[in-house]
Amino acid sequence: MPTLRGGAPKLNTLFRELWCRTATLVAVLLCFPDVGFGQEPKPLRWGTDPTGGAPFVYQDAGGNYTGFEWDFAAYLAKKLGRTGTMVAGDWSNLPQLLDKDTIDVVLNGYELREDLCSSYAPTRPYYIYRLTLLSRKDNDAVRGWADLYNPRPDKERKTIGVLGGTVAQEYLEKVYGDKIDLRSNQDVANVIKLVADSRLDGTVQDSPAATYFLREFPELRRAGDAIRPGFYVLYYRKSDPQLGEQLDRAISDGIRDGSLKAIADKYNLWSKDQERLSYWLNQPWPTFEKDDDVEPTDADKATDENPLPRLLKELVYAALVTVKLALLSFPLAMVIGLVVAIGRVYGPRWLGIPLGIYVEVVRGTPLLLQLFIIFYLLPQLLNSSGVGLLMGIAAGLTPLVAGILGLAINYSAYEAENYRAGLLAIPKGQMEAALALGMTRTTALRRIVVPQALRLVIPPVTNDFIALFKDTSACSIILVVELTRKYNELFNFNRTLIVELAFLTAGLYLLMSYPLALLAGRLERKLAAPSHGGRP
Amino acid sequence: MIRVSQLVKSHGPARILDGVDLEVQTGEVTALVGPSGGGKSTLLRCINGLETFDAGTVTAFGHTLTGNDGRPHANATLVKLRLAVGMVFQQFHLFPHLTALQNVMSGPLYALGTNRERAEQDARRLLERVGLGNKFDARPSQLSGGQQQRVAIARTLAVKPSAILFDEPTSALDPAMANEVLSVMRDLAAEGQTMIVVTHDMDFAKQARMVHRMEAGKITRSGPPSDVLG
Repeated sequence: MPTLRGGAPKLNTLFRELWCRTATLVAVLLCFPDVGFGQEPKPLRWGTDPTGGAPFVYQDAGGNYTGFEWDFAAYLAKKLGRTGTMVAGDWSNLPQLLDKDTIDVVLNGYELREDLCSSYAPTRPYYIYRLTLLSRKDNDAVRGWADLYNPRPDKERKTIGVLGGTVAQEYLEKVYGDKIDLRSNQDVANVIKLVADSRLDGTVQDSPAATYFLREFPELRRAGDAIRPGFYVLYYRKSDPQLGEQLDRAISDGIRDGSLKAIADKYNLWSKDQERLSYWLNQPWPTFEKDDDVEPTDADKATDENPLPRLLKELVYAALVTVKLALLSFPLAMVIGLVVAIGRVYGPRWLGIPLGIYVEVVRGTPLLLQLFIIFYLLPQLLNSSGVGLLMGIAAGLTPLVAGILGLAINYSAYEAENYRAGLLAIPKGQMEAALALGMTRTTALRRIVVPQALRLVIPPVTNDFIALFKDTSACSIILVVELTRKYNELFNFNRTLIVELAFLTAGLYLLMSYPLALLAGRLERKLAAPSHGGRP
Repeated sequence: MIRVSQLVKSHGPARILDGVDLEVQTGEVTALVGPSGGGKSTLLRCINGLETFDAGTVTAFGHTLTGNDGRPHANATLVKLRLAVGMVFQQFHLFPHLTALQNVMSGPLYALGTNRERAEQDARRLLERVGLGNKFDARPSQLSGGQQQRVAIARTLAVKPSAILFDEPTSALDPAMANEVLSVMRDLAAEGQTMIVVTHDMDFAKQARMVHRMEAGKITRSGPPSDVLG
């Protein structure tokens, strides 16, 4: 019988035995997190974003995780005598997971960055990357970095995809500013695919990703030299210096005894640059080189004491994109919704079935998925048809157009149900009276029934418009930089201003949606039939 | 002239109209009386094409509807027929989102394609004629039942129908309001407006040229008021 603290119970009552067992269990649970005394060391929780994460961390064809950093994490864990546990998170939010004690280290191609180092502690570098410009082999307009300054043959700015919140993005914004149409995304694989499909002119990636995807997509090439070497480091909590020392020791051992090279070689990621890693083991750390080769733009010069005005300006511009998305998509959603609702209520019986299916499918599947299908899959489908018109449509599916379309379709299902409710609420006598006057059914609907139904559903439709305003943020997965996306990007480089940025962003959303609510309220009061009960 | 012959309408096993024959001469007022559920309202609605029917024909001013096992009538015929035969409902069915004036203008504007100026002129005249010259801009919800029914009559008159069907026009009204409506209807009758009126108001029925008594889907007695109403 398991007993605690020596004194075995002489009174062998059931109650006492139960108490003992419970106490034993509690004691074991209490001891468990204490690494000093426990048998099992605490696992090393490393945060990463496996979404489109090749060659760093990704799933192979068999669904097993693999990758340069997967192996590197295993190496570190082994060196530290701990078990490695991968914690998946959104790439740009990984450092916050350190604050929440969800992870112990960030390990996912995180660059050595001055702003991050103010809040978190970096290890020594485990990889030296370079920025690499990729374009299609047949794209003569992007053959090197200098080409980015020039517009495309069609006079539009060149569209360049980049991973949001990276040094690459920061660099492109600094150097090329408004000269390029920078499209940021969270998923490298998606961006690469868009370049391969000629839907982006090019993309700038860190050399490991570039190396990997050049093998996967033979139609792509490296345009110009890889530039601006930088360090990949791990970040850990500043309150955890012991861990930092252990990690640094493991890294320097790995560099000296060649195990790091072996891991990199496995993924073809070893390059001449990596030979410099051992040099940096003995230098003061962290070190931040001044960008001598970067000509600061005017926007950059303005980055002085108080960055808030500049950030606000960027947020306001992003908010305008949000407004554009909402104002163009919602009227479309209303029109589609109304047509669907009229078809279901007043159309022929056979039409009701497909329209009902439309509503259920559209509102039963996530907006993100719909956006993904419209932006990534639909163009492929259209292009594979080989029909000129369809291919033209595919070419027109820019992120903004796809976003507007996706939001419109998604919300049309909800609006269809709103309008259907409104139509059903109009008494049958209204249609009969209109018909008895000699109106056609169509005229009766247009002049008599629909106007009344529309008035009736102003409150729920307004509700949906406001909801759509916030749902525009889903468009960030198809490279639209709207308010939420912008906020995410900005706080990445301004982590000391997270709270201010959050309030500014929330304020902007409110500033956009509240006037809408007021306007709808006025409209409702003006149009509402006074015969209805209650206060409007 | 309106002629109904051998009209049959069933609802499941129930025969709501069981071989109805009816003839209404132009310029005459015809009253339909009888107990509730006798088929009077259904007959009116069939004449106006708001209901389908199984067999028989309705001919009104040159437009004919033929019963075909309850299948819908051709839309073009329906529109032409309804322009010739207007209808006033028990529950008025004014359009609540429009003012009294706009209600009266709706037929000319949306069914006849009259220009707006002309339609408004006519509508004002018609509202004045039914005693509502001061209610042009009132919404239906701001009007009493009697006023609403008078707007509804003006609305029907606005498309200048050859005949008007009244489906229990005063049943939803208290006696005072019913009298307002009946006096308008008497004026119309005096002017030679062809009317078929379903009514429980025996005083009004007595002034009709012809009275038909309907029971269980059949016309059981027809003739001048003195014969039928006794």
